[in-house]
Amino acid sequence: MLERRLYRHIDWLLLGAVVVLCAIGVTMIYSTTHDPTAGAAGPQVRTQLGALALGFIAFAVLLLIDYRWLSDSWVTIFVGLLAMLAYVLLFGVVDGGAQRWIGLGLFNLQPSEFARIVVSLGLATVLYHRRWALQTPVGWLMVAGIVGAPALLIYQQPDLGAAVTLLPVAFAILLFAGLRLRYVAILVAVAILVAPVAWTYGLQDYQRQRISSFLDPELDPQGAGWQQRQARITVGSGGPLGKGFLQGTQSQYKFLPVAHNDFIFSVLAEEQGFLGVVFALGLYLFVILRGLDAARLAKDRLGRYLVVGIMSGFAFQVIYNIAMSAGLAPVKGLTLPLMSAGGTSVIATLAAFGLVLNVRMRRFTN
Amino acid sequence: MAVNHPANDRWRRTVRGRVLVMASVMALWGVAMEARLVHLQVFRYDALVEQAERQQSRSVKTIPKRGEILDREGRLLAYSVEADSVVAVPNEVVDPIGTTAAVCEILECSEQRWNTVESRLSGDGLFAYVQRHVSVEAAQRVRGLDVPGIGLIKENRRFYPNSELAAHLLGFVGFDNKGLHGLEQLYDQEISGREGRVLVQTDAHGRAFSRVERPPMAGVSLELTIDKYIQHITERELRIAVREHGAVGGSVVVMNPFTGEILALANEPTFNPNVFGSTSEDERRNRATQAVYEPGSIFKVITASAALEEGLSHPAELFDTNPGSIRFGSRTISDLRNYGVLSFTDVLVRSSNVGASKLSQRLGAERMGRYVRRFGFGERASSDFPGESRGIVYNPARLTESDLASVSMGYSISVTPLQMAAAMSAVANGGELVAPRLVRAVLNEGERVEAPRRVVRRVMSKNTALTMTRMLEDVVTRGTAQSAQLAGYTAAGKTGTTEKLVNGRYQDQGRNIASFAGFTPSTRPELTILVVVDDVNRGGGSVAAPVFQRIAEAALRQLGVPPNIDAPAPVLLADELFLPVTALPVAARLQPAVRTTGIGAAPGTMPDLRGLGARQAVEVATELGLSVEISGDGFVATQMPEPGGAMTPHQTVHLELDRRAMESAP
Repeated sequence: MLERRLYRHIDWLLLGAVVVLCAIGVTMIYSTTHDPTAGAAGPQVRTQLGALALGFIAFAVLLLIDYRWLSDSWVTIFVGLLAMLAYVLLFGVVDGGAQRWIGLGLFNLQPSEFARIVVSLGLATVLYHRRWALQTPVGWLMVAGIVGAPALLIYQQPDLGAAVTLLPVAFAILLFAGLRLRYVAILVAVAILVAPVAWTYGLQDYQRQRISSFLDPELDPQGAGWQQRQARITVGSGGPLGKGFLQGTQSQYKFLPVAHNDFIFSVLAEEQGFLGVVFALGLYLFVILRGLDAARLAKDRLGRYLVVGIMSGFAFQVIYNIAMSAGLAPVKGLTLPLMSAGGTSVIATLAAFGLVLNVRMRRFTN
Repeated sequence: MAVNHPANDRWRRTVRGRVLVMASVMALWGVAMEARLVHLQVFRYDALVEQAERQQSRSVKTIPKRGEILDREGRLLAYSVEADSVVAVPNEVVDPIGTTAAVCEILECSEQRWNTVESRLSGDGLFAYVQRHVSVEAAQRVRGLDVPGIGLIKENRRFYPNSELAAHLLGFVGFDNKGLHGLEQLYDQEISGREGRVLVQTDAHGRAFSRVERPPMAGVSLELTIDKYIQHITERELRIAVREHGAVGGSVVVMNPFTGEILALANEPTFNPNVFGSTSEDERRNRATQAVYEPGSIFKVITASAALEEGLSHPAELFDTNPGSIRFGSRTISDLRNYGVLSFTDVLVRSSNVGASKLSQRLGAERMGRYVRRFGFGERASSDFPGESRGIVYNPARLTESDLASVSMGYSISVTPLQMAAAMSAVANGGELVAPRLVRAVLNEGERVEAPRRVVRRVMSKNTALTMTRMLEDVVTRGTAQSAQLAGYTAAGKTGTTEKLVNGRYQDQGRNIASFAGFTPSTRPELTILVVVDDVNRGGGSVAAPVFQRIAEAALRQLGVPPNIDAPAPVLLADELFLPVTALPVAARLQPAVRTTGIGAAPGTMPDLRGLGARQAVEVATELGLSVEISGDGFVATQMPEPGGAMTPHQTVHLELDRRAMESAP
């Protein structure tokens, strides 16, 4: 399937940037989970390396299979996703008050991580085949169904963060599919109107607390504001040059919770300082812009929508996580793709990049 | 795909626009993030680092090993021992009441203490003292307790092995390794060393693990000029004198007049620095440097030196002290009795107030004032005593004739004993005022840095000093200070008896400060000794001079100073029993007394055991079949029956031993 011609069109630059980000991630996980008394890193490093191996296999598979072939069988894939999400709700592994994982013995699979890819694929296919879907109620219904069904299932786990990440995916694809900016304005207006209602009825207590503590972290420095305050201290105490590898006291002494996971970027800021952060930030920007470039270059609208969906999901996570790590957004359990420890996240993200490179690589094929 | 379909073209434009929008959003976000990072990591860096450190660590000071204080022979006067303190981490104490009970049982707490401990253990925090400086046994038992949150740390505790010895000089140290008195205070920075810091790192759960950031640096040790033995003798003799005369206190300064080294400095009352907490302010006061007194007649030394140095008189000049008093306006200064016509020397020998007053009039206020200053009065004598007084010296320009007369005999002026000792030393050493000092050398990691001798200024010419010395020798040999005479050594000095000023009035009867300042051997002085005994009803000659005599004799022996008068001939003992008595080659000057001992004497007569050590005497006596009865220690001074008397076997011979064997030599 991989002809020499295709091989030449693989985006080595993007792939390289992704690999470097993964490497930085593993290094930081090593550093934060390193126990200064035991002199060894935590088990997360090994898990992450395993996930990376699996991830690059998934990457290769999704690179080699023509995305149009995947598009043709999107219904099967979509139903498969829904089945997995339903399975999670019924039989999933419970951890920390949420039921998000499928126990696979060796590791736990988190199906919601794949939702962004599948939703992108579904929306891209539907909007590709029904060019004027957005002008018909049926089209809108289909769009709502493709986004809403998995989102609802994920929200039930509950995992609001993962559910919410489906929205930018859908929004970006719709935008590229010709959504009038007028509708966007309406959407924003509705959101503003709905917000107080949602605040009162739609959010759990802990969610409300997170948001209010974001708005004023000093209100409750030991409670909900803790993580955000610690994130700020962690980043700031890194200074221009950082404390050095393995020297991140904030993370190693567990002041910063889930440092190897949601707050991996803060750890990078602490240990490598402003210079290291700017480097990583540059890599992420490069990856996102290079992804958009792939969308621009895509041969057909299908590929374009697919890449845009995937990249906006990725970008949203990066934007939100880094903003959160810098204390600029409420603390939400969103991982930083490619760097955070998290088996399924790594596999899904690498698989998604397989698709992005897939589209770009096949821009000259028929 | 090169078909330029219009719809296709529109899509391309849309895509390009949307891509641009998204790229712009990303770029904007990137800039925002960078700005945020610059804000946190550059502008708020210091503040956030401080926040991080504050929540992560607690800095605990580690107390360095405090340097030792040694006497001039290297004998310990003060040292630090490591003592265990029981400490707690209240956060980790599970059961405060039970823990308190367990700990208090070992420490034998009072009820009040018990409550304190319980409240400390119930508190929140990472550190609290339970009991500082506990005994070794208690520490051992606490160690075996194995209760969470209770631990031991090593702390330094100062120990003064000789208790009261040199207490005023050494001072003492508080709990926090801070010198609070004496040398401990003055040299605190040097002795205490540099504090170390242990940075105790804690994680978010308060779990602590420590990391030494800076190890403590041990303090330097001080080698003092003090001789522990002489100090001991000095304190003992002063105490005896104070008790004997019912005095309220006193001071003695013993120093080397040439080097300024203080060999001993004693005050009475004194205190035990090991338990400084239970001592009174009065006991802790270093009277020798902090208490000023009117020196009285001793000050005539200054007046006389000034007159000699200015060429206003000579030792043989005659002064008419008739009728034993002199009037200044309404004030009469009188001598004890009418001495008639006195030579200058005899003005000192008799301590004539009238003579001194006349000299002072000759000198005038300005010159008198200058010499008072030159001798170091009105300025701190030494830099080795915290809180040393300057004394009180009036401006000479304001002195009336009457005041001047007062100053000439040591009134209307206040000095410290140390100043007086330094001034007397200037006479003793040929005219130089040498700053008295207490620290001989600083020892730092095997390196010994000696403190230099410091000459403040030349006070008078060598000739003047020599003349003064001759005159002061006369004071001892035939004047007011005859009880200061030493066996084997010449001494020079001057007595002082100051009527105490109580409530602004001089007390006529019985409230005197008796003092004596002298030096010996006067031909080449090794010691200047100043004795001040406060509040007695007798004079310097009978109270202070004998103290001088006793201290000087012991100190000279300790220092190994050879006698300079009536040098007792060395006693040569012939070990060979039948050695001919004559023809032992010795220096003619020494005129040895050669005696044979034991059976070298005529058979049947008592041997001469005098001059022998106790063991030797007993050996000789028992060989002759005599029983021996010994009293005292040292060398045989007298024996009963006397040598040469009839001896019967098994007779008992009484030997009286004395440290001063020499005197009894024929």
